[in-house]
This record gives sequence, structure tokens and C-alpha cells, in this order.
Amino acid sequence: MPESNAVLKPEELLPATDLTRKTLEQLDRILLGRTELHRLVLIGILARGHVLLEGLPGLGKTALVRTVGHILKLDFKRVQFTPDLMPGDVLGSHILQETSGGKRELIFQPGPVFTNILLADEINRASPKTQSAMLETMQENSVTLLGTTRALPQPFFVLASQNPIELEGTYPLPEAQLDRFLFRLLFDNVDADVLDRIISERRRGELPAPTWQMERSELEMLFQTMSRIYLPRPVSRYIARLVSATHPGNAEATEPVNRYVSYGASPRAAIAIAEAARAQALVSGRPSVGFEDVKFVTSSVLNHRLILNYQARFDRMTTSKLVSELLASMDETGLKLPGDMELAKA
Amino acid sequence: MNTPHAKALQKFARRINLLLAARAVLRISTIWLFVWGAVVLSFRFFNARGWIQVAFISLALLPFAWIFAGWRIWHQPPSFQKVRAAYDRWNACGGLIMAGETADMTGWQDHLPAAAIPPIRWNNGKAFLQLTVSAAFAATAVLIPDRLAHPGGHRHLEIGSIVDQLQAEIKTLAQEKIIPDQQAEETRKQLSELQKDSAGLSPDKTWEALDQIKEADQTEARQATEEALAKTAALAQAGTMAEAMDHAADAGMSPETATQAAQNLASMINDAKLDDGLMNGSIPPELLANLDKLNKQQLQKLMAAMNFTKGKLGNTIGKLANLKLIDADALSACQNAGQCNNPDALAAYLSQCSNGCSLAECQMLGRGGLSRGGPGAPMTWSDGTSEQDQEFKEHALPPANHLSDAQLVGISKTAPKLNDAAVADTPGALAAANAGGGSAHAQSILPEHRQAVQNYFKREN
Repeated sequence: MPESNAVLKPEELLPATDLTRKTLEQLDRILLGRTELHRLVLIGILARGHVLLEGLPGLGKTALVRTVGHILKLDFKRVQFTPDLMPGDVLGSHILQETSGGKRELIFQPGPVFTNILLADEINRASPKTQSAMLETMQENSVTLLGTTRALPQPFFVLASQNPIELEGTYPLPEAQLDRFLFRLLFDNVDADVLDRIISERRRGELPAPTWQMERSELEMLFQTMSRIYLPRPVSRYIARLVSATHPGNAEATEPVNRYVSYGASPRAAIAIAEAARAQALVSGRPSVGFEDVKFVTSSVLNHRLILNYQARFDRMTTSKLVSELLASMDETGLKLPGDMELAKA
Repeated sequence: MNTPHAKALQKFARRINLLLAARAVLRISTIWLFVWGAVVLSFRFFNARGWIQVAFISLALLPFAWIFAGWRIWHQPPSFQKVRAAYDRWNACGGLIMAGETADMTGWQDHLPAAAIPPIRWNNGKAFLQLTVSAAFAATAVLIPDRLAHPGGHRHLEIGSIVDQLQAEIKTLAQEKIIPDQQAEETRKQLSELQKDSAGLSPDKTWEALDQIKEADQTEARQATEEALAKTAALAQAGTMAEAMDHAADAGMSPETATQAAQNLASMINDAKLDDGLMNGSIPPELLANLDKLNKQQLQKLMAAMNFTKGKLGNTIGKLANLKLIDADALSACQNAGQCNNPDALAAYLSQCSNGCSLAECQMLGRGGLSRGGPGAPMTWSDGTSEQDQEFKEHALPPANHLSDAQLVGISKTAPKLNDAAVADTPGALAAANAGGGSAHAQSILPEHRQAVQNYFKREN
């Protein structure tokens, strides 16, 4: 059997699963009431994708990113994006310095982007020029200045946040740039029980220190294991059908998709779903991807990739609703039993 | 692999195939029965012969359709990869069963949930209802009474009067011995069958059959009429001859003439062919056998028999005419046959003829000679055609006074000159005409015409 087809054995997968479990335990312990969000952020990291966090101020976006950085023992930097922020402020710039020998030369001063985890806070407040420079870096994993290309430290993740209110004076990210984020995760308000725990257990909102941290080698091992998660053919076919069905006019497109969607998801979305589903399978302790893994990540992958029309705005149709209906209507296996035959619910 | 999941997966795949095959059989049965019923119904509607055989042979092919449907499903089952995926999803195996397609998953058996065959729900109520309806339709198509299956076909044609007419014709033809009794009986049977089977949906066959019978009757009647005409004419001739012989015998006809006349009479009666066809046997055979040696009493008896036969023939033709089997011309021709004969003239001829009377002469005398047509007809001339109103009357022309008074004064190549200048200068009707004034078109008169114009205006009315 070729190595590419070799499925991980239980003893090979178990250490990686343990690591993800410990990471999630730490996250859940430090940040209360956001289990699913923590899982998705971890999946985003394992899939080597960038994550856009969207939510109201004070919901813990920065705290989440900081905690992830601490647990993974990765270098973490934060940039507060403002309208006057220049690309050089993010990427770095050359500064004229006098050397010990008395000579003067341009020395590159790396920007905050030279880190493992970068929190781009309120990314929609920066000018398009700065956003563009930042997003290009995200795609290339390198910075090119004055003809010199400098690779970013690996792993490199951008966890960007944006505020859905106070949109005056902001520059919403264009769809082409949004497409570079693996996930767009929405921060909801926590319920009263969680708030009660936060108030009673966190004095002045200070976060507890993690009791366990992941070593760099363990993170590398996680990435290696991720690459060996098996994606069965029916599942990959399901992903392809899902993404195709987001395009209006497709044979499997639902009526709401045909009605409300102007442009469907790109092939990059299909790749993102596949990678995220692999990561979800790893976190779940399985060596192969199942349909449930795909369903778990699809909404987060697609919800910033579908371009809706004005009719959707009028009818208050959201991308999440569209994706949920699409997932509910599509038969995952493609078995296509006749209309009067169906598999009983499990 | 012989794991519980592998076994369950195989069973699951078989169950799907079985259910799909059963469904296909059900559907093909439904369609087959419906189509079969429709075909049977249409066969019966159009009264096609042998529909029962066709129906049951086609029904016997149904099992072959089942076999074909089952074979098709069995040999073209759903993709096993998809069946495996469905099994994996239903058992929440998280892709482990799907991965087992290409990889060895033995180590993961302990992590899998217990094997269970996913139940397949087939909502077959509608399919069975359709099958039941289809079967009921097929049964109805077979069992429905003929009058309902073929409503138009059992609406008899209104041919009663035509059949009655034809029956009367056949009865008359049989009574008059024009057609044999057996033929009449067959035709009657044919007519009653036609009346019974005549269908409103396909009347053409009935009309055609009735037309054929009618034509056959008319043909027989026409032939009988021709025969009757010939016999009547022959009998009239023979009757005239017999009557003339009877009268001539009283007037002292010579024995030679009597013998020759008797021979002529025998020849005429033989020409009538009274021993065959119409009125066969109407003349006593002993008379027919001794036609040349008849005495006065036998001759009178023969005359009576011939008159009776003639009358019977006339009655027969009259009946045929009443039934409109022959036209009025044929009837009058028959009635007039031999009516112009003149037995007195023939008797006088026979009594005067001492020896060598020819048959042709006898016939000519008896019939009064040719009256029309034919090359032997005499050419007669009447007075000339009146020429009144067809000829031009001659009228004398009045004398040419002016010309007689004319005097030749000479011959000139140019126009003659007149002394009366006033006449020549008078422009006549054009006196007041102005050129271009629209009153008249002034045209100059050439010198050679001038005199003619002057003469014209000077002439006397």
C-alpha cells in the first residue's frame, strides 16, 4: 500500500489527539463558554489557515488570541489597525543607522507581521493599502521590501478581528481579501451562567495562566499528523458538490441559493473545507474524514465567501441560513435512492 | 475482511439491491398491466379479431419483463462506494468504513460502533395502489361486456327497409324461377346475418354487401327480362303464325303451304326455347313434339298455351318492374313485343300462297314489314320541303336616272374643274371654324378630293 494511502494507526493518532484535547481543555478553562469557537480556532490553526473573528467589543477576541499564543508557546503580536496605519507599520521598514564602523546603512526593522500569531485588531479600520499589504503577506507567507524577500516565521497565523458596529470611517474588506481567511467566526454573547462564572471566578477579568503549554516539536508533530488524515473519495465528492451547489443555477443548488446568491464559493473554499474537515477529524480522534466533519466546518468556511444579492438583504437572508439549508437538503452520500425509498434516521 | 461491519455492509448492499429490484418489478408490472389493458381495450373497441389470443400471449410475457427488470437492477446496482458511504454515515463511523475501501482498518475495529444494518424505508403504499389500479383496469378491459367495450359497433345500422326490399326481390325472383331456391335461401341467410352484424362504426362493409346483393338481383332480373323479351317476341310471332294458320285453314290454304307454315311455326316456337329458362314447361310437351302435325284443335290449344305463357311472362316482368329491378323502358318493350303483328294479312297471304312461301316473307307479312332502322328498311319519300320563308324575294332595283342623264365630257388626269365657283368656295360646316379656336378642326382638302367633297354636299336627298 502506498504511503499516501496509509491510514494512521490508532497508536500514531492518539498522541496528536491528546495534544488537541489538552489544548482545548486549556482554552475552555481559561476562556469560559466558547467550546465550539475554541475548537474552530484550533481547527483553523491545524489547517494553517487565517481566521477572521467578528464580534462586538469586549467579547474576548483578543483574549482568545493571546491565550492561543500562550498555550502554543508561539510568538504573539498585536496590531491595532487605524486609518492612518501605513503598510510599513505592519510589514516593517528600512531605517538609516550608523554602524559601529561609522558607516551609515539602511537596516531593516521588521514589523509586527514577523511573528507566529498576529492579532490584527479591527482590521477593517485600516486603509485599503495597508489591508492589501497585510493580506498579501498572509497569502505569500513572506514580505518583500526593496527587492528583498523575507520569509515569515513558521507557523504564521493571522487572527484578525473586526467590529460589526461603528462602521463609519471603516474600510470593509473586499470579498477577494475575505476569501483568504479560512474561517470567519462570529462571537456571540455568552449566556448568564457563563457571565456569572466570569464575574465570580475572574477578578477584573484577568485570565488565568495556562497549566499546560504545547512544545514547538509537538506542534510540528500535529501538523505532520494532520497531513496524514485520510479524506475518503465520497467525502471529497460531497465537498465538491457542496461548493458547486452554492452557485446559482447548479443542478443541486437549493431554491434560496438560486434566489439570493449572486456568486458562489471559489475552489479555494473547497480546499478550505477539506483541510478544515481533516483538522476536525484529527481533533475528534479519527484518522479519516467523515461527513459530520465536513458539516461541522462548512458554515464557518462559507459564510464569508457567498456574495448575496440585494434581495437577500431585503428578505434578511443570511449566509449562515443559506448554508444550513444547503447542508440539510443535500444527500451526503450521493446514493440517490428513489424518491419513495429512504434510509431510516439513525 | 470478515469483520462484523464488512458483513453488515454486504447485507446492506444486498438489501438495497433487492428492494430496488422489487420496486422495479412493481413499477414494470404497473406499467405493463396498464398498457396491456389499454391495448386490449383498444383491440376490443375496434373489434379486432383474435384479441383474446394476443392479450393472453402478451400477458404471458410479463414474467420476462420481471426478469429483465430484476436483472437490470442486479447487474447495474448503485455504486458500492456510495453504499459504503451511506453505511458509514448511518453508523456514524466518521469515515472509517469509507477509508476501509482503500486501507487496512483492522486496527480501528475497536473504535467503531457496533455494526448495524441501516434500515431502508420504502413507502410503497403509492406503488401498490398504482399496481392495484392498473390490475383493476386490465381486468376491466378483459371483462367489460362487448356492448360497453365496443359501443359504436353494436349500434345496428338502419337497414331494415333495404333488407325488406331485397327480401321481396329475392322472393319474387325465386317465385318466378329466375334464381334457384338454394341461391335464394343463401341470399336470405346472408341478408339476415348482415342485419344482425351491421355495425354503426364500420358501415362500409354492410353497405358494400347490400350493394352486391342488390346488383346481383338486378343482374338476374335484367337477364330474365332479356330472356322474357326474346320469348315474348318469339311467342308473339308464333302466335300470329298460329292464328294465321288457323284462319288460312278455314280459307282453304293449300296443304303444301300448311306444311310449310307448320314448319315455320315449329321453327318459331323452337326459337322461343320454351323448354329452358323462364316458363319452362308451360307448353304441353305433346304439342311441342308434334308441332308440324297439329290439327285445328291442337293448334288452338297451342295458341291458348302460348297466350297464357305470354301473359305469365308479362306478369313476371311487371313484378320485376314493380320491384324496380328493371326500368320502365324494359317493361314497355316487353309489353309491346309482338303487338304490331297482323295475323289477318298473314292469313290472307297464306291462303293465296299456293306454293313456295318463304319463311322470311311470312315473317314480314305477319309483322307488317320493317318500319324503322336497319339496312333492310324501305326508303320512303314524302313531299318536298316547303321553301316558304327560306328564299329571298326578288326585287327590281329602281332605274339609274342620274347615271343615264350623265354625259361623258372627257377624261382628265387631274381634278375636274367646276365653273360654279360659288359652290367650290363655300366652306360648308367649317365656315365659322377658327383654327385653334376649339370649334372644329380645320383641315385642308387636297385638290384631288375637293370635287368629291363638293359632290357630297351638293347631292340630293
